Amino acid sequence: MKARLVALAVTVWLVPGLGFAQSASGTTRSYDTLPDWSGAWQMVGGTVFDRATQTGQGGATSEGVRSHPPYNAEWEAIYRSNLERRDKNLFPDTISNCGVPAGFPRHFNLPDPYEFVVRPEQVWVLTENGPNVLRIYTDGRKHLEDQWATYTGDSVGHWEGDTLVFTTIALKGFRDKDVILDRTGLVLSDQSRATTRIRKIDPKTIQVEMTIEDPKALTKPWVVTKQFQKMPPGTRLYDYGCAENNRNPADVESGKTLVIGPDGKPLNKE
Amino acid sequence: MRTHALLGALAIAASFAITVPLSAHHSNAGFNSDKVIEISGTIKEFQFTNPHTWIQVIVEDDKGAKTEWSVEWGSPNSLGRQGIRPSTFPAGAKVTMRLRPMLNGAPAGGFVGAKFPDGKTVGRWE
Repeated sequence: MKARLVALAVTVWLVPGLGFAQSASGTTRSYDTLPDWSGAWQMVGGTVFDRATQTGQGGATSEGVRSHPPYNAEWEAIYRSNLERRDKNLFPDTISNCGVPAGFPRHFNLPDPYEFVVRPEQVWVLTENGPNVLRIYTDGRKHLEDQWATYTGDSVGHWEGDTLVFTTIALKGFRDKDVILDRTGLVLSDQSRATTRIRKIDPKTIQVEMTIEDPKALTKPWVVTKQFQKMPPGTRLYDYGCAENNRNPADVESGKTLVIGPDGKPLNKE
Repeated sequence: MRTHALLGALAIAASFAITVPLSAHHSNAGFNSDKVIEISGTIKEFQFTNPHTWIQVIVEDDKGAKTEWSVEWGSPNSLGRQGIRPSTFPAGAKVTMRLRPMLNGAPAGGFVGAKFPDGKTVGRWE
C-alpha cells in the first residue's frame, strides 16, 4: 500500500501539469459552459487610453490632448513632462523599435484586430498589432509571491457567470522608461496592478473594464473602460512583422520618430 | 515635377477621411497634417510590408533630374482587409499621388490618394 502511494506521488510529480491540474480541480469550467467570444474584434475609438477623461481634440499625438488619471502631484508632473515632449514630437514610443511588447494595460489600447480565445484553463487575448499575447490563467492557480516584473505582468482570474474577472500584477510600469499606456505619454509605476472584468455586453460588443491601482502614482483607483466591436464574419488576421521593414524607428538619443529614406538613412534626423 | 499645395479644408478633410486606421506603431511626426501636395511620376516599388507600407515613386523635374519619393501608407494587414494588394501599385506605372509632405521638405510623406492615367483612383481622391 505504501509503495503504491509512493508510486502515485512520483507519477504526479513527473507528469507535467498533472499535479497542478489536480490542485486546480473544481475551478476550471468545461468548454460548453463558457461564453462564445469567437471572431475578430476591433477597439472602438482612437488610442487615447482613457477617452472618458480626455481633454483636447484629436488623437494621442495631437498637441493638447491628454487623459486625466487621478495622479498624485509627482506623477502628474511626470505626465506633464511627457506631454511637453509629445507636443515637440520628441516623446519616444519604444514599441516603434520593434520587439517590445505593448504591455499591460496598453494591451487593450491597440489598433488592428483582437481575438479573445476562451479555453477552460486559460483565456488568451491576442492582438494582431505587435503581435501581443495576454494569458489569463483560469485554472485556479495563484500569483507567484516572488513574481518578477514584466511588460505584460501575470494575470490570474476566474469566471463570474459569463464575466471573466482577473488580476494583473508584476508590471514594469515606467521603471525602465519603455512602457507607456498611449502616445500622449501616459504612464504608471512599477507598483501598478489591475482588476479587469471582461464580458460581452451585446452580441457585437465586448467590454473590458479595468480598475487600476497604483499606490506610487495614483491617489485612488482609476477605472478605464474599453469596448471592442465585432468585425465582419470571416475576417482574417495576419503577421505583424514589425522588423520586416520598419522605416519609423524612434531615435534613441532624441526620442524623435525617424523617417527612413530609400538609402536607409533618416530623412529627419535634424 | 508638378507640386500643388492644397491647403485648408480639403487637406484636413482628406487627412481624416482615409479609411485605414492610424497605427499605434509610431506617430506621424514629421508629416504636415495641414497640407497636401501632389506629385507625378513612375512607381518604382510598392513595399507591401509591415509595419507600414511604402510606395516609392520616381519623380523627374523639368531638367531631367530624378528624385525618389517615399510615401507611407497603412499596414499591409489593414489595407489587405480592404482589398488593397501588392499589385495595386505596379512597378513602372505612371501615377499622380497626393500626400502629406514632410515638414522639413524631404521627399517623403503620408499617403492620401492616387490617380492613374486611366482614371482609376486609390485612397482619397475628390
